[in-house]
Amino acid sequence: METRVAFQEELRELEERALQGLDMVVTSLERVMEALQHQDVELAEMVVEDDDRIDGRYLEVHQGILSLLARQAPVATDLRLVAALLDVIKHVERMGDQCVNIAKVIPLTGHEPPTDRALLETLAEMGKHAASLVEQSKRAFAERNVELAQDLVTRDEAINRLQREAFRIAIEIGDDMDTREWAMTMLLVARALERIGDNAVDIGEQTAFVVTGLFREFTDASHPANV
Amino acid sequence: MTTQPTTEQSTATTEQAGRFAHSTVTEATGRHVAVQDLNAYYGDQQAVKSFNIEYEPNKVTAMIGPSGSGKSTMVRCINRMHEEIPGARVTGKITIDGEDLYASSVDVTAVRHAAGMVFQKPNPFPTMSIYDNVAAGPRLTGMKGGSLKERVEKSLRAAALWDEVKDRLAQPGIGLSGGQQQRLCIARTLAVEPEVILMDEPCSALDPIATLRIEELIDELKQRYTIVIVTHNMQQAARVADSTAFMLDGELIEVGPTERMFTKPNDERTEQYVSGKFG
Repeated sequence: METRVAFQEELRELEERALQGLDMVVTSLERVMEALQHQDVELAEMVVEDDDRIDGRYLEVHQGILSLLARQAPVATDLRLVAALLDVIKHVERMGDQCVNIAKVIPLTGHEPPTDRALLETLAEMGKHAASLVEQSKRAFAERNVELAQDLVTRDEAINRLQREAFRIAIEIGDDMDTREWAMTMLLVARALERIGDNAVDIGEQTAFVVTGLFREFTDASHPANV
Repeated sequence: MTTQPTTEQSTATTEQAGRFAHSTVTEATGRHVAVQDLNAYYGDQQAVKSFNIEYEPNKVTAMIGPSGSGKSTMVRCINRMHEEIPGARVTGKITIDGEDLYASSVDVTAVRHAAGMVFQKPNPFPTMSIYDNVAAGPRLTGMKGGSLKERVEKSLRAAALWDEVKDRLAQPGIGLSGGQQQRLCIARTLAVEPEVILMDEPCSALDPIATLRIEELIDELKQRYTIVIVTHNMQQAARVADSTAFMLDGELIEVGPTERMFTKPNDERTEQYVSGKFG
């Protein structure tokens, strides 16, 4: 006879709410990238305001997990899932904040800033990769698919390469002061996108933890030679 | 009719029986308990099947498992209480520091001194005072006078009860609260200076505060004893035990460090049990 049905249902709902947070991040990310490409300040402001929804989701899931821990004392796989969800929802909140960081620099560059097509295209490419990584991290977690989770590292490398490319373009952008200032601001965008990729990889690591019971970083930033 | 226990696989000689050859008490310290291929029966019904485990000195080992899984029977084999039940028998071997508890030369009383038992329900001797409850055991070994008083105080202190009862030692033991009665029973067990303490659901009749006091006491006692505790309370096992063993249908399914058993058990049946999915 199956027991603890209510507990299992509550845990399932918490996971669903946490993973839906990743959908909210993707929406936010796509909007802010659109705002960036079209210098749409209003859309950027909407992204900033909408971050309250992501923060609300963080608080809701966080509180739900604390309540579950206090009332149900989960153990074994359930405990690992609960611990992982705490981590996942934290990354959701941080990725939302990165979208806000991007949104906030858009008005700083002025109404019609000098732009560079190659740099904007590079950032657009980074944005697409980042959104795709977030979606993949959600699928890997939901399906408990370690292989798919580990694949996030390879795909994150593409974002890192594009960030280096954005850096190179910015350095070589020319002598015009306004253009250089715009390019430096765009490097902040590139950095935020790169961090979203890292957060997606972190969710992949939590997937592996839930499945195997062992936590290990897929990549070690402090020892890059071991990558 | 009481059936004498058989020890078909016991190979210990009289010499090996050592300190269990007669009723003596030894210095209190944790001992290594090894259970080898143990089988325990109630008539035709086998309650413990081919059981192997090692209880480490100065560690707490929790025995968990559903009702009827053989936990209590297993623990009762360690101090040879199982054989007191009509029709019960045991095969296999249990040793304390290498000495076979079931060797033919062994004095059962000495075994029960070495492996003291604390039961589910506090069971102080109802007609005895607090003092006499604790003194009863040592008196049986001939202790009296000042040394007996010392032993009683030492035992009550070790059971974290002395400060609460030192001014009313002559009052009946059953006048104490449930938690105090259980600590009195622990003091009574400690008074004969055991090497191993067996606890069979020692907190199941106690309120949460009394339970936590017993758990703190267990943590202190393990500095000097080997402790085996049977519990249905998963959280209690997680709180007090260094190692946890999971039993099912008389068999040992898995034993390991408590942290691992409650975060990543190796066996799916353990996972299902500790998660509350059956049992």
